[in-house]
Amino acid sequence: MNLRSRPDMSLFIKLFKEIKHFWRLAEMRLLFLALLVAVVAVTSVGFFTERADRAMNSQAIQILGGDLVIVSSRPINKLYLTEATQRGLSSAEVISFPSMISKGEKFQLAQIKAVSKDYPLLGKVETSIERMGDIETTRMDSLQNNEVLADERLFVALEAKSGEQARLGKSQITLAKIIRKMPDQASNSFQFAPKMLLPLEQLTATGLLTEGSRASYSYLFAGEETTVKSFTGWLKPKLQQHERVRTLDDGLPAVQQALQRGQRFLKMASLLAVILAGAGIALSSYSLTRHEISSVAVLKTMGASRKQILSRYLGALVSVAIIAGIVGAIIGYFIQFYLAGYLQDFVGQDLPPAGFLPVFIGLATSLIMALGFSAPQLLQLIKTAPIQILQRSSQASKTPLLFSFLSLTIAVFALMWLQTSDLKLSAYLLAAVSISLFVIWIVAVLMLKLVRKFGERWRLPKVNRRMSLMIVVFGVGLFSLLLLTSLRSDLINRWQASLPEDAPNHFLINIQPQDVEPITELLAKDNITTPIYPMIRGRLVELNNKPVSPGDQAYAENQYAQRLLIREFNLSSSTEIPEGNIIKQGEWFKIDEENGFSIEVDIAQNLGIKIGDVMTFDIAGKKLSETVTSIRAVQWDSMKPNFYVLAAPTVFDGYPKTLITSLHLPEGNSETLTKLIKNFPSVTDIDISAILMQVRSLINKAAFAVQAIFLFTLVAGVVVLFSALQSQKALRRKEIAIYKSLGASRSLLRQNLLLEFALVGGLAGFLAGVLAITAANVAAYTLFNLTPAINLMLIVIGTFLGALLVSIAGYINVRGLLSITPISLFR
Amino acid sequence: MIKNSIVIEAKDLNKSLVVSQQGSTDANSKEMLQILQDIKFKVSQGESVAITGISGSGKTTLLGLLAGLDVPTSGEVILLDQNLSSLDEDQRAALRLGKVGFVFQSFHLMDNLTALENVMLPLELDGNLSLKNNDIRARAEDALKEVGLEHRMAHLPTQLSGGEQQRVALARAFVSNPIILFADEPTGNLDSNTGNEIIELLFSMQQQNNTTLVLVTHDDALADRCQTHYRIDAGQIMNARKSMNESKIAS
Repeated sequence: MNLRSRPDMSLFIKLFKEIKHFWRLAEMRLLFLALLVAVVAVTSVGFFTERADRAMNSQAIQILGGDLVIVSSRPINKLYLTEATQRGLSSAEVISFPSMISKGEKFQLAQIKAVSKDYPLLGKVETSIERMGDIETTRMDSLQNNEVLADERLFVALEAKSGEQARLGKSQITLAKIIRKMPDQASNSFQFAPKMLLPLEQLTATGLLTEGSRASYSYLFAGEETTVKSFTGWLKPKLQQHERVRTLDDGLPAVQQALQRGQRFLKMASLLAVILAGAGIALSSYSLTRHEISSVAVLKTMGASRKQILSRYLGALVSVAIIAGIVGAIIGYFIQFYLAGYLQDFVGQDLPPAGFLPVFIGLATSLIMALGFSAPQLLQLIKTAPIQILQRSSQASKTPLLFSFLSLTIAVFALMWLQTSDLKLSAYLLAAVSISLFVIWIVAVLMLKLVRKFGERWRLPKVNRRMSLMIVVFGVGLFSLLLLTSLRSDLINRWQASLPEDAPNHFLINIQPQDVEPITELLAKDNITTPIYPMIRGRLVELNNKPVSPGDQAYAENQYAQRLLIREFNLSSSTEIPEGNIIKQGEWFKIDEENGFSIEVDIAQNLGIKIGDVMTFDIAGKKLSETVTSIRAVQWDSMKPNFYVLAAPTVFDGYPKTLITSLHLPEGNSETLTKLIKNFPSVTDIDISAILMQVRSLINKAAFAVQAIFLFTLVAGVVVLFSALQSQKALRRKEIAIYKSLGASRSLLRQNLLLEFALVGGLAGFLAGVLAITAANVAAYTLFNLTPAINLMLIVIGTFLGALLVSIAGYINVRGLLSITPISLFR
Repeated sequence: MIKNSIVIEAKDLNKSLVVSQQGSTDANSKEMLQILQDIKFKVSQGESVAITGISGSGKTTLLGLLAGLDVPTSGEVILLDQNLSSLDEDQRAALRLGKVGFVFQSFHLMDNLTALENVMLPLELDGNLSLKNNDIRARAEDALKEVGLEHRMAHLPTQLSGGEQQRVALARAFVSNPIILFADEPTGNLDSNTGNEIIELLFSMQQQNNTTLVLVTHDDALADRCQTHYRIDAGQIMNARKSMNESKIAS
């Protein structure tokens, strides 16, 4: 029992024996189960999100075209290239600018990308000769003189075929092949005209790039991860104001937002599973220590020291935690494998293997929970006076409340921090959990007082002190379940609703003001109605009448804010609040409102703009100032035109503008499109069906993952239920024996027990329902950008589910006690 | 150990408890409850001593003080030549280790350990013995055989009858060849037949090992089997009797 080593008995065998002995206690098995559930939840979600993150990153790198990309509005320092080459990195150069291309009578604006021969460093350019022809990979250095690659849209607009000639600036070019897929394709696609890839050495001949041309310059770098990292470290301090490192934020916002929401939900679900399991651990360690009081007293009479007793229990606890950690991580790994199988066919490439980090997080979770949730009771257990064994009452000395509270708080906080890696969020969550616990407890006590008052008249079960504890425990469990159920179905429904079958798959841009009416009419003939938004480009120049620039001290640390100030905003106006937008602060424009801006919440945060601030935009040399009257959350994955800044309807009257809309065209309906393009040559159509399919498939996968993780919470809830019941079993045994000795029949006892369980479960469920509605709305609003909705059914479901579940589980737990004989009282 | 050497000595033992007045509104109204008063006696090596008295007379409290499970309010206990007052809880435990055995009214076996594992426990606790695991097991098996439970070794306490559980407790108490055995109402939870069997076993093992026995009971017949009999009433020793020489010593 002591841990002093004996020559022939290794620590391992001793621990094994110890665990074998403790395993015979139901309390220890429940403790293990609770730990296991927590670890499985944490590791499977951890493994999965880690791999998903890495998959997204590797996809992002392909989209960016390199491991590291710097972009600038001016030519970039050549020194960077030299340094990268010296460090063994490969590099490529891209200069990108819009220009007209002509073929005979046809003109089309295109986004020209002049690229060096190693482009792209990662990913590849896939081309074909014919529109739907065989796909081949084309290297830039394989292009002959004057040959270029171009988007299909450019071929269509110019009515050209592969191999035909066109004119770009001073050069005669050959449209060699159709680009089917290339890096950088999905990013902000509707802002740009069709793309053309031009070998960099041909650029000079076109005569297009002169001093003052509006071009974007980028350097792409790729190589070993560590080299890239050290190079990035070297590079960052040297970057000029006009140079910045490009990140994934610039591309795929829709896919990213869907994935982030999914991950956030998964993390929240696993966190709730962990907290639930924590309640199970606290309860089972409580009953374990109560059970062990007499054992400790006996050990002390035999001469065991406090140290020996501490190491006996601590050893068992730590071993159980480690075993649960390891077994849990293994199970979590396999569950993740299953989840990742689904993600794999979405990503369409080999997922990076899972890292080891989740294993450590799993082990840490297990140890923190085992120690943090049982340390106070364990330390109290050690203090058990040996004299207790002679006094026939095995009373636990009371654990100091403050110590228990501190230990639990630190443990819960550590767990949340491990899960979220976010101190602020953890603090918020901790506060939320503490407040809910407190509220549940107060209300439980009040409700029991009511029950006591009316109990006699209605023949309700006798109220006792442990009932309030049971209500709190079951209440928390049911609360987590209801919260997740409602969020899960909400989330999945909204996701799917946000991209219905008829979600827009085409954008029409460059609509001229005079074309709005005829286009609306044309679309109406095909039963298509869709809002058309004006689009005005403007640069933010003043805030509250003071000039702002990317170089301002206030934005020194905020690259995102700097970028917002460099580039032009797409401004728009609308009478109605666009679908999928939620007002977070302030109010949407009243009808006939002539002034005001409504801005998106992220830019409000990054630029530090509040309601009532005045924003001034420079629009084609004219200054326009309006007051911010509302702040909106925008659903970026809705595949509809979304705007950072919306103005009251008449604000842009008199400013030059084009208009934009999105519409759904069934697959194969090229008729409408052809008519549109033919009648309105200035209008550009952008087909986003491919991106749409990607996002939709991602949502379905994420929804599945969410369901799977939800199961853990259910299991954790059941574990809590049984640990709570187990902790009361000894007391109940005695009670039933007393009732029987007084002449109570089995059927009466059964009836009373069921009634008591139903009452406790029902009250807990009712409370849980009320709290879940509150919490679901707060979470929907703050974490998931979903519209709040009050679902009163949760209260009804909670009450019935609580009464039913607790009755069933309670009955299963005490069934055996009904056949107890009163004589057991005297043992 | 020299015969008749003193192994336990109680010197003017007093024990009182502070009890708060139930129902009183005054938070400070606390009362001292005197449980034991000026107890003094000596116990020699190999002697068997019975302490009797009615419920609440203080006999169990006395047992706790003698074994060092609790400390007196005043007075001293000398246990195995050590003054318990000068020792802290762990030091008192270390003194008991391997030298003091216990038998309780409610058996107090570890319900997650088999009969054999329960008996092995005292030997495993004693790091000074440096026994190999096999030796511990062998000695525990011998002890169980001695109490007639060789066929029940792998059973958990819940699978044993009350009498069998108390036999396991006896084996556990004697396995480390203790110098002193404290027994607290060892037959209190057993029917009379089983109780008698246990008592026979207890005394035979005690005599065989020349163990000092301190037995708390309310059964005078049982007390009469001990060499010395102290009767306690209201915390005081009312009379002491040496049954070997039938001489009564006024207290």
